[in-house]
Amino acid sequence: MNYSELTLRYFETAAGAGVLDGPGTFRGAAGSRTQGTWVQFEVQARSGIIQAARFLAFGCPHTIAVSAWVVEHAIGRPVAAALPESVQDLSGRFAVPIEKRGRLLIIEDAWIAALASALQR
Amino acid sequence: MNRPVYLDYAATTPVDPRVAAAMAQCLTWEGEFGNPGSASHEFGDAAGALVETARAQVAASVGASPEEVVWTSGATEADNLAIFGVAQYYRDYGRHIITARTEHKAVLDPCRELERRGWRVTYLTPDSGGVIHPDQVAAALQADTVLVSIMHVNNEIGVIQNISSIGAVCAQHGGARLHVDAAQSVGKCVIDFAALGVDLMSLSAHKAYGPKGVGALLVAQTGRGQRARVQLTALQFGGGQERGLRAGTVATHQVVGMGLAFALAQASPSSEAERVAVLRDRLWRGLASLGGVLRNGNAQCSVPHVLNVSFEGVEGESLLAAVRGHLAVSTGSACTSALQEPSYVLRALGRDDILSESSLRFGLGRFTTERDIDAAVEIVGRAVSRLRRLSGA
Repeated sequence: MNYSELTLRYFETAAGAGVLDGPGTFRGAAGSRTQGTWVQFEVQARSGIIQAARFLAFGCPHTIAVSAWVVEHAIGRPVAAALPESVQDLSGRFAVPIEKRGRLLIIEDAWIAALASALQR
Repeated sequence: MNRPVYLDYAATTPVDPRVAAAMAQCLTWEGEFGNPGSASHEFGDAAGALVETARAQVAASVGASPEEVVWTSGATEADNLAIFGVAQYYRDYGRHIITARTEHKAVLDPCRELERRGWRVTYLTPDSGGVIHPDQVAAALQADTVLVSIMHVNNEIGVIQNISSIGAVCAQHGGARLHVDAAQSVGKCVIDFAALGVDLMSLSAHKAYGPKGVGALLVAQTGRGQRARVQLTALQFGGGQERGLRAGTVATHQVVGMGLAFALAQASPSSEAERVAVLRDRLWRGLASLGGVLRNGNAQCSVPHVLNVSFEGVEGESLLAAVRGHLAVSTGSACTSALQEPSYVLRALGRDDILSESSLRFGLGRFTTERDIDAAVEIVGRAVSRLRRLSGA
């Protein structure tokens, strides 16, 4: 399969991969390893603003690249149950084939689950 | 720019320079460019002599006689000619075929097509090591079975089937002809067409340092066991070449290349197989040290040139993307549209979808070095460790 330059860059660097330490860390996950795609996000927020975010992902290069992009672009944004960019826009940005759009929905579910935890706090 | 380490010899091999040189001699005015079927002048005679020399070389390398060699465009055409040819010829005797779930698509797809046309096909499931046992074949034989098609060396896992025992089972039956896809076998293990009790055998040149686009079907000229000599219905017409079984002008340069490649393979010292086995074992030890690495296929009955492994905790598409550009290997998944599908061969061995997708097939060959192996271990190790870290495994 061919990947866009952006996809390869985020897949290869995968900045923001890992977990966060300390109090005030909120976690959300979605998908399943046995089904081929699993994503977890952790966020830390202060005064309603995301201060730090990390991800773990078991999945294809698109899944890893988009997850990395999401945590990179979440910093400094208000805590809200939405991705920094819509699934449709992310799909276009990373040239995700239509057959793999479901994987972006898993990323969205994991992100919203993490942010929902923070919002409930 | 450095080329990636090539460990995909089971997909194809580079043409041996000696083979390329011999082929080039059959293309231009200065060489033997004549039509080998033109018996009316010296140009045709000279090309025809080269074709017959190549036929003898191929036959000698696999224990067949020259008149048993029918040139084709490759193993896929040979498989099609064998399966459709037998099915058509014996259609009034029976319409049942036996094959295995781990066969190449060049066998499975013709069988599925025959099912659509009214034939019955039994697909045998191998044991967890990929081996089809002769008693499975015996149990599946029916009164109207006309063909058993079992490959010699599996292209994904390298497992060698016990063809002589399966041949004995078929010989007892009396009606079932045995076809063997041996595309992966030449140069990797000894083949004795006559001794194996095989009626039909498909061969490919490009897996043995010959050119792409040429192969052969061996058609036994004597009966096997209780059976009379196998008969085929031709699939293409238009000139009567190859005793009417495969019409079309024989491509002199292609068959000359195949003949020489097979002769060189036969002449290659047995120490070459030992050398490759040492490299394969070094590769396996290096990969196994990563932990969570599973070997696919029965290691006790495999060619040394193929190693297929699955990596726990790693997603297959990402693994392939991570090594791409550094290492040329095949994945256990087939890319159909944008989604990967797990290898049907590994699924038949009982591997789950995730492990089937996270497998890599390493194909070692004549030009593989210890340095290549060490580089491959490092490249794969780096990719697996990184992907496991990314997934928190």
